[in-house]
Formats: sequence, C-alpha cells, structure tokens
Amino acid sequence: MTAVEVSPLRRGSSGALSALAALFMLTVRQHTHGRRVLVLGVLYLLPCVLALILRNLARPAPGDALELALVFVLLPHGLAPLTALLYAAGVVSDEVEEQTLTYLLLRSVPRWQLYLTKLLATWCVTTTLVACGVMTLYLAIYAGTPEFWNEALPRAGRTVVVMALAQVGYCSLFGFLGLFTRRSLLAGIVYIVAIEGVLANINFVGRALTVVYYVRTLTLRWLDLPPEELRTCKVTWSMDDLEKLPSSGECVLILLGVGLVVSVLSALSFARTEFRMKTPGSD
Amino acid sequence: MTPIIAFDGVSKWYGNVIGLNKLTLHIPAGVTGLLGPNGAGKSTLLQLATGQLRPSQGTVRVLGQDVWDNPALNRLVGLCPEQDAFYEWMTGHDFVRTCARLSGMSRPEATAAADRAMDQVGMTENMNRAIRGYSKGMRQRTKLAQALVHEPQVLFLDEPLTGTDPVARRDMIEVVRGLAAAGCSVLVSSHVLHEIQALTSRVVLLHRGRLVAEGNVREIRALIDKHPHRIVLVCDKFRDLAAKLSTCPDVDGIKFLDRESGLMVETRQPDTFYARLPALALADGVALREVYSEDDNLEAVFKYLVNK
Repeated sequence: MTAVEVSPLRRGSSGALSALAALFMLTVRQHTHGRRVLVLGVLYLLPCVLALILRNLARPAPGDALELALVFVLLPHGLAPLTALLYAAGVVSDEVEEQTLTYLLLRSVPRWQLYLTKLLATWCVTTTLVACGVMTLYLAIYAGTPEFWNEALPRAGRTVVVMALAQVGYCSLFGFLGLFTRRSLLAGIVYIVAIEGVLANINFVGRALTVVYYVRTLTLRWLDLPPEELRTCKVTWSMDDLEKLPSSGECVLILLGVGLVVSVLSALSFARTEFRMKTPGSD
Repeated sequence: MTPIIAFDGVSKWYGNVIGLNKLTLHIPAGVTGLLGPNGAGKSTLLQLATGQLRPSQGTVRVLGQDVWDNPALNRLVGLCPEQDAFYEWMTGHDFVRTCARLSGMSRPEATAAADRAMDQVGMTENMNRAIRGYSKGMRQRTKLAQALVHEPQVLFLDEPLTGTDPVARRDMIEVVRGLAAAGCSVLVSSHVLHEIQALTSRVVLLHRGRLVAEGNVREIRALIDKHPHRIVLVCDKFRDLAAKLSTCPDVDGIKFLDRESGLMVETRQPDTFYARLPALALADGVALREVYSEDDNLEAVFKYLVNK
C-alpha cells in the first residue's frame, strides 16, 4: 500500500504572522485575566501607600531615601523578579496544568516559535506591570515636590528602561526554570533570595552572574542621580569605582544576549519535549 | 484503499508503562471507529497521530507525512481532545475564533470560519456566552467546532460523545456523518460500541496497547450482544424515569446509583434503547442531563477476543 500524500495548503508568511499575533494576544489575555494580576497590583500599591504615609509624617522621610529603598532596592530585588517568576515560570506549565496546550500544539505555529511568542508576550505584560509600578512609586514619592517634573519624572522613564532590560533576564531565566523543574515557583523564590538577594550583595566576581548587578550598574550610569544619592548607592552596593564596572553598552548587551541565548535554548528544548495530556482514562 | 493514517511498528512507553505495543495499522479514508476500554491506548494513539507525542519505536505518518512538529500538516488535521479543558473566561465563539487565528487565518476569515463552525455544531445561539457557563453538551460541541474551524482533511475525535445528552449526541453524530459525506476522513475513539456503530461500520479494536482486531463492526456486534449493555442515565427525577423505563421491553434491569442522581440500565438491545433516548430526554419532567455507557461489557468482549 502507498500512503496518500497531500501537500499542505500554504497560507504564506501573512498566515504565519497572523497565527503568531493571535498567540501573542491570547497570552496577553491569559496573563491579564484571573487573580494573579490583581494580587500583583495590590503588591505594587503597598510600597506606594508606604511612601505616601512616610511623606506625610510630622518629620517627612526624604525623597531620595524613599527612592533608594523602594525603587532601587525593593523593585529590582523583590517585585520585578516576583512578577517575572509568577508569569514566566507558568508560560508552559500553566497550559499543561490546565490541559489547554493541545489547542496550541495542534495549530500551524512551529513549536519553538510558540514558546518564544508566549515568552515575548509575557515580557511585555511583566514590563508593563513593572513600568506602572515604577511610575506610581515615583508619583507617590515625588508628586508635589519641586523636583518632580524636571528630575524625578525623567529618572522614572529611565528606570522603566532599566527594569525592562531586567525583565528580559528574569523572564528568560524563569521561563527556562518553568520548563525544567516541577516546583518552579519554589525554585524561583530560592533563586531570587539566594542569587539576586545574597550573591548580588557580596563584593565578589560571582555577582556579575546576577541580573541585579547590571541593573545597579545601569542605575548608577544612566539615572543622573543627585550626588548625595549617587554616593549612598555606590557605598550601599559596594560599587565605589565606576571605572571597574561594565559600561552601559556591555550591561545592555549582557542582559539582552543572555536573555536571548537562554530563551532560544528553552525554545529548542520545548520543541523537543513531549507533553502528555492526561485523559480521564490515563493514570 | 490507500491509508490516510499509517502506524508502522509503533510502540509508546511511559516509563515502565506501555501505551502502545508494536502497533501496525493502516487506516484508509472515510470514517473509522477506534474502540477499546479505558486504558486500551486509544488516546495515546490519537496523541501520536496528531504529533503531540513521539513514538518510542516505529513511525507514524498522516497523509504521507511525519507528524511530529509538522505545523504545515496541522493545517490539514483537526483534533477534538478528550480532556474537558478550555480557556474558561472566553466565549465559545471567541475560543473557536482564536483557534482559527492560530491556524493562520486573518481576523475576518477567522470570524467567518468561527461563525460557520459554531453553526455547524448547533452552537450559534449560545456562542456569545462564557464557556464556564456551558453544559457538558455545549462544551463537547465547542470542542468539535474548534477541530472543524480550519476545515481539516483528517479529523481525530477522542471520545466526543462522552457525557453528552441524547440530543447533543444525535446532533454530533449528524455532524460527523456530514463531514464524512463531504470527504473528510474521521478517526473517532470510544469505549462504547453503539456510538461507533452509529458513525461507521469499520472499526479498529485496541486492548492494552495492542491491536486486537479490525474490520466490520457486525462481526463483533454479536459478541457484544451476548453481554448486557450497561447505560448510566443522570437526571433530577431519576425515580420517575425508572418508572417509565420499567415498562420498556428492551430494559433488562434498572439499578439506582448512590453516587449521583441517576440510574444504570441493563439492556441486550442497545439499539432500540438508544433510539428511545431522544424522546425520553424531551419528555416532561425527565430532563436527562447525561448519558454514558460503562465499559464493563466491552471489557468482557475484549477478554474474549484476546483469549480466543
């Protein structure tokens, strides 16, 4: 017997792009539905509320101290990686858990493109969330002060760019983690605490392996911090000598390059992985 | 006839568990029933045929092409999966339209295709409601619509009638017959012979991952009828239903179920009984919610065939 051979219908590149655009939008909609986005919204509002309270005490907290604690420490160490973890680690495992991956695997999108598109959508959503968090924080810290329009707002814009680059690193890492570990949330939290929390604060060559190291370097180089705040940051982060730190270009290249390499490796692994959908009759 | 789906020496292992065991099977164009009790390997076979799984051994080809990671082939293939999974927050139409878009259609094409597919499965009236509010029958129809939306040449249906009410069952059988008449090849799995028989006379029998038999359904039908057929009916007024059924000559026994508001009927004439169901479902006060067949009777037949 000979098999019936049929040439698949060609929809061309517009069809492929249409499928990828649909997948991108589907992922964005998945991320913006449900409780996760509400929980994160509340988490992002907490430091804003704290800033407002501290600004309105009888002896108001200075803006630069609040900015250092909330924007340059809490955000890159806690909220930003947590946001990436909650979304990127589940980019495939949530679909497997909810048994909806079948609907994606059976469409005309190559598997590696499927993963990368979902990850790109995840990066967009998490970056938007972090950007909203940054702008709200700056608003809570500096609104009504003389430096708000001329200094704080441009710095907020540049902070958004730095955090967007950080999200490239975090999303790719946590996406990778979500593919290879079953308890990706737990592993991710351990990573955030041990690597981005502890290792990044040790003045040792190993901290160059953390995302936070490059975020801090870019913060020192890009944000035009007031001299006093700049000095405090350098001392706090043990980054006194800017000459010894990587250049801005190197930081950007490393964050984007590592993010790209890890994402491509994850996509190739995803393309080779079987995802068995459990049926009522299966074990 | 030339095969549309070809399995050659295919085995699939999940660790120490064998899903399929050295299966060689060539399925021609048309409608073919895939019959076997739970755990027989039907879903594994369908997941292999749709490229979701890779065979541990052997080759799987559909329309002459390798199926693993073959997005071009996916445009020609549709699957109605067994699992009752959706993006629950979507409306039925939105879901089917999204599936159409994922198949590479433009927005207007996808909208038109979703309208058409939802109409085909009788869901036009409810297509703008959220899926989370759908009944089991509506969910099955919507799953079928997403499999049809890109007009595949080969359709895989994994237990499509499970848990549906009699009206949905009849409608879905009509849809599949229509597709077959239009030239679409269909491989439909079930553990209920009667369901398969309503769709095709050509069946493939699987048991514990092995091909037990293939051929005309009539040959195994005689074996089936030696064993009482058990059908579970779920409805609120199941005691009233039992009273009505007790007068039917084709009903051999009725048993009330403890675990749900329903009853199990034993019959040796399943054709007659199933023919009566749509009318029963529409009868005053009965409102059948779910009908399914326990596969114990089929298991007995398989044991017979395996030991023969």
